[in-house]
Amino acid sequence: MKKKLVALSLASIMLVASLAGCGNKTADTPAPASKTESTESSKTEVAQTETTPGEVTDFTFFITMPGSEINSDNEIAQIIADKYGVRIKETWLTGQTASEATGTLIAGGEYPDFIDSDEMQMLVDADALLPLDDYIDAYPEFKKLWFTDEEWEKFRQPDGHIYWINPFGNTLGQSKATTHNDEAFWIQVRVLEWAGYPEIKTMDQYFDVIERYIAANPTMDDGTANIAYTILCEDWRYFCLENAGQFLAGYPNDGSVIVNKSTMTIEDYNTSEDTKKYLKKLNEEYQKGFVDPESFTQNYDEYISKLSTGRVLGMVDQWWDFAYTVNDVFKTQGLDEKGCNYVCLGLTTEEGMDNRWHTYDDTVNQASGVAISVDCKDPDKAFKFLVDCAMDQELHDLRFWGVKGVDYDVDDQGLYYRTDEQRVNWADTSYQAAHRCQYSYMPQWSGTSRDGKNANKPEEQPSEFMNNMAKPLVDCFNAYGVTTYPEMIGSVVETNGPWFPMYSYSNNFTKDTPGGLAWTLMGECKHEWLPKVVMAPDFEKGWSDYMAAYNACKPEDFLKEMQDILDTFK
Amino acid sequence: MAKEKKNKNVDEIKDRKITWKEIKRQKALLIISFFMLVYGIVFYYLPLAGWLMAFQKYKPKLGIFGSKFVGLENFKFLFMNKSVAFWPVVRNTFFMGLLNLVTQTVMAVLFAILLNEIKANVIKKPIQTISYLPHFLSWIIVTGILHDALSNSGIVNELLIKFGITDRVIDFFAHPEYFWGIVAFAHCWKETGWNAIIYLAAITAIDPCLYEAASIDGAGRLQKIKYITLPGIKPTFMILLLINIGNLLNAGFEVQYLLGNGLVKKVSDTIDIFVLKWGISQNDFSLGTAAGIFKSVISITLILIFNNIAKRNGDERLF
Repeated sequence: MKKKLVALSLASIMLVASLAGCGNKTADTPAPASKTESTESSKTEVAQTETTPGEVTDFTFFITMPGSEINSDNEIAQIIADKYGVRIKETWLTGQTASEATGTLIAGGEYPDFIDSDEMQMLVDADALLPLDDYIDAYPEFKKLWFTDEEWEKFRQPDGHIYWINPFGNTLGQSKATTHNDEAFWIQVRVLEWAGYPEIKTMDQYFDVIERYIAANPTMDDGTANIAYTILCEDWRYFCLENAGQFLAGYPNDGSVIVNKSTMTIEDYNTSEDTKKYLKKLNEEYQKGFVDPESFTQNYDEYISKLSTGRVLGMVDQWWDFAYTVNDVFKTQGLDEKGCNYVCLGLTTEEGMDNRWHTYDDTVNQASGVAISVDCKDPDKAFKFLVDCAMDQELHDLRFWGVKGVDYDVDDQGLYYRTDEQRVNWADTSYQAAHRCQYSYMPQWSGTSRDGKNANKPEEQPSEFMNNMAKPLVDCFNAYGVTTYPEMIGSVVETNGPWFPMYSYSNNFTKDTPGGLAWTLMGECKHEWLPKVVMAPDFEKGWSDYMAAYNACKPEDFLKEMQDILDTFK
Repeated sequence: MAKEKKNKNVDEIKDRKITWKEIKRQKALLIISFFMLVYGIVFYYLPLAGWLMAFQKYKPKLGIFGSKFVGLENFKFLFMNKSVAFWPVVRNTFFMGLLNLVTQTVMAVLFAILLNEIKANVIKKPIQTISYLPHFLSWIIVTGILHDALSNSGIVNELLIKFGITDRVIDFFAHPEYFWGIVAFAHCWKETGWNAIIYLAAITAIDPCLYEAASIDGAGRLQKIKYITLPGIKPTFMILLLINIGNLLNAGFEVQYLLGNGLVKKVSDTIDIFVLKWGISQNDFSLGTAAGIFKSVISITLILIFNNIAKRNGDERLF
């Protein structure tokens, strides 16, 4: 009996201890609330935060994107730490998807200091994020410059707080956009050069050029076989296969639906004629053997390494998804001199239609951004640094241009320029890890620097842009009479509606609503069926099977909820 | 009389007082069992409280104590909602588990017996060591190797074409019908050597006299395997089989997750992937937990059934 008692009491001690453990945790949770209560004091403190040299706070930052970690003794990170007292250890997605990583964080209940996730709603639901309203108000200049009041409102969650700030898509001063950062049909300049720079307006013309090129040049100079066209369709990146239909129909990148501006109605591009024609063309090319058979089984790493060999003549993708990595490799391998660089083509279903592949104005994606977690060790300092990233030109230059005299030089007129060696260094991955520190998910500007002369980012500096281009690319631009990528794609210049982009709403749908559930199931269905449709021996049968499976997901529920959102802008 | 005496003995044991002296005497045992007890409670029983989530509409913000109870709602959604496709996932898990179990067991027994027939240690030892090396590779590496080997320009396609078996490359990961086979093969390649160790040990424990006697009686190699080795490892075989049957629904997560893609999703998703997809990615812990409970219940039922069968046949069993 006694033994049992001893055991029991021991067990109960353990229970109490573990409950106490839970208790601690629940005691932690109200912390953010008390924080908001004491905002008055913290506000003044925030405004007066001064950094004394030598006092460095190390923050952690998790971003649900794949990326490269920089070395812990990174030189520019050290310079920033010395001056601003902040060093950030960035960690990136490895293997899992964004939502899995976010869900795992929530299940674990411990958060990094900064978070940028594609699944912000999940974090809000879990009370993981610190409300930023008071912090934002403490920096009125930043508040005014970064977003307009309407834009800030878009970030306000149903509970009345703002939890995150989108770091991208803001232009300071005059726009210097030279790249087409969006989606397009890309084609290597060597193909265009070989074909005598033809006008390419439709998919038929696009594949015609590629087919003729590959028939004449089955391999590259070193004997590697050329691949006509590849498709990336791993996980969320399957937009490379999935949404070209909306662009071919001449609509901008609303991502999950088409908005018909004249009637203010939501339309589904998944079932549209343009999408069907697009898939039919892909199917035809697949049957002819011009679509890379590994398209549907390759993962992102395999895709990028495939592009990096310069073998792939064309694909659909967004610039940011491939160009930064692939162009750097082309440069270090000398493949850019062989015409492997990609240029964008503004294709449409029929010739003569307007295209809207390029987004001219700043896209504010309120679905995600950088947030500060409730576990952050020093939210005041963290937020101050976030503001510094946007407001301090010197810091901005350090991040994107590097160290003066090392990574770039300044000419008599005050314009920044780089030598060839500096340019090659900047593109070199080991140099990037040891020296370059962009904190690329912290607030940043495009456009013109506060000195009124230089671009905020080197790739937008006209001299840099021109000098960085290899001869085949320059020839191509000259042949088409353009100087930048946006001119190359030739999209219609117009301002998008205040609802743009609609994907920023659907990204935050959860399966708790019928529309959200439909959205999840539609995604699953498309993941499975789009490749099948492209591979189908009989396209019409494949398409009708796909449509049957698609309609079973009740897309109408989803479209209705999107329409409700659009109606708020009427 | 004898019966009475026996009862008395039992009573004696029952009535044995727990004295401090006794506790002192068993100090070491008590300390050891204390830690095991704590370990068991903390890691096996306390987490079971989380099962409550399956009957709630769980929100991380509200926690287990604050979330709303919804009864069997989650189970209903799981089993009834066709578009969520839980049953195909159960089917995949079950058949992949079965395929893995059968191929792995057969390969391990076969390998152990063949290895045992090699008399020269110089050959036997290196083979054994090499054979279980893959066990120490993580799945991410194994799937990487598989992905490369089975890719369009991989060694398998190259060999198939060289030997004229096909004239066109086979895109192995684009065909649902190959997927289970690939997974079973991966498991075999990785685990055969490791699983064979325990059978090898069982074979070593067989009395050599039996083999000698059989030789004198004129038994050949195959007969010795059939009449001595196989019956000799039967108890081990049964116990392992029972343990593994409980693991049938743990058909794997990493392999299917890492090798799967949109085209083969219909056959590649397992319960574990389902739990990850709905529980973690869709932030519906309740649904994930419900699926997890379902898996546990099935596993326990399977063990009970097969343990019973083993008991009735008089074979080795777990309990």
